[in-house]
Amino acid sequence: MNRKTAWLRQVVALAGLIAVWEACADAGYFDPLYMPAPSKVAAALYQLFAQGTIWPHLIATFSAALGGLAIGLIVGTALGAIAALTPVVGELLAPVMIALNAVPRVVLAPLFVIWFGIGIGSKVALSFILVAVLIFFTVFTGIREVDRRLVERVVTLGGGRRALLREVYGPSVVSWILGNLKVAVGFAFTGAVVGEFVAATKGLGYLLSFAQSSYNAALMLALVLLIMGFVLLLFALTGWLERRLLRWRG
Amino acid sequence: MLRVDSLALAYGATPVLEGASLEVPSGQFVSLVGPSGSGKSSLLRAVIGLQKPLSGAIDTDIAAGEIGMLFQDDALLPWRTAEQNVALGLRLKGVAAGTAIASARQWITRLGLYGLSERFPRELSGGQRKRVALAQVLAREPQLILMDEPFASLDAIVRARVTQDLVRLVELRGISVLLVTHDLEEALALSDVVYLLSQGPRARISGRYDVSLPRPRDVIKARTHPEFAPLLQRLWNDLAREIGGRAA
Repeated sequence: MNRKTAWLRQVVALAGLIAVWEACADAGYFDPLYMPAPSKVAAALYQLFAQGTIWPHLIATFSAALGGLAIGLIVGTALGAIAALTPVVGELLAPVMIALNAVPRVVLAPLFVIWFGIGIGSKVALSFILVAVLIFFTVFTGIREVDRRLVERVVTLGGGRRALLREVYGPSVVSWILGNLKVAVGFAFTGAVVGEFVAATKGLGYLLSFAQSSYNAALMLALVLLIMGFVLLLFALTGWLERRLLRWRG
Repeated sequence: MLRVDSLALAYGATPVLEGASLEVPSGQFVSLVGPSGSGKSSLLRAVIGLQKPLSGAIDTDIAAGEIGMLFQDDALLPWRTAEQNVALGLRLKGVAAGTAIASARQWITRLGLYGLSERFPRELSGGQRKRVALAQVLAREPQLILMDEPFASLDAIVRARVTQDLVRLVELRGISVLLVTHDLEEALALSDVVYLLSQGPRARISGRYDVSLPRPRDVIKARTHPEFAPLLQRLWNDLAREIGGRAA
């Protein structure tokens, strides 16, 4: 059973599921208000692109998610590294991060709307906080749990703090971050979409909210599929990056 | 020359060594054997500066950059290729990157790893990784190498080959070595002097054995030399006495 036949089986199973769903919807087993036929979902998706209405929403969500992801990666990495390498800072920062990690951070969305308005700022902030806490712990743990034998190896070769950062901590942290990058991408889109869901004038979350208020299940499912598709595409990109940068892992 | 004088070491409140003294004269191969947990590795760590002594002195006329250390684990950077790992030792000594890589390639070839320069540690066998670690230390042209059972994990044939290569290079370049090992035969086959550490805690040097086998030395043939067996018997009896067991 190789990967190709497994992939074929998965495609056939999915096609079968869609066919059964379509047949059941046509036969009237499903109420179209709650469970529209796959063809209706596909038509809604097509309309979004054919009319060109989707683009400003896609751009808004992607800008917020990727902006939050980028700032979250930079700030999370910097804070995690400083906290791990400077015990005093670690003592102060770790409890704050633990507290932030303990609550579902999307509850901060309404607060961010008050602070940053209903524009892109509040969505970037929510994506950022979701990503930054994850990356903080990734980097903090990555540095704290670095292989001591490698540290001693570099020290016995005459390496100082800079050499340790460049040769041991840096590559070790990069491997930890890349290992969690898919989760971070997922968090960034969660932040952007939830933020738009709470209060926005555009974005996929806003469209979802609109579809909900107008009881348009076909549009809602089309948007879910769209978000899923784009996130999977980003997962594939991060997977490629991971394989390329972590070639040493095999 | 390295001189360890009345060294005392502890892990927290637990004493490890107390009054341990030994010498590694210039160009000599010295081994340190003893019961498990007696503090052999700790002594090496203190010499290289990874552990702070409670008291005693570690004197040497060799600069810190001229002392190399081979650990029990090869401890190669997994994200660097074989040649990058070897070159790292040189770069940290101040050698320019290009020169370091060129020299690393030469050492890799010299240690029988031709064609493996671009491989990552996980793509190498245990013996090949040891050779890379050895190349990393030797490329720096150290005057003294500290070795903490570096070949313990290797199978007998690979171990014999790597140790023979090591002895050849050490003899050729007049490098001093302080080797920590559990293997009494290996200690005698490689060394000019073997020190025995007593049972811990508060271990000290309880015996010194001069090995006058000829050099250059074949590490396998050395074991058949007439002086070898009596020396091994003496060392074994003394070690057995230290751990409270019966002599063979």
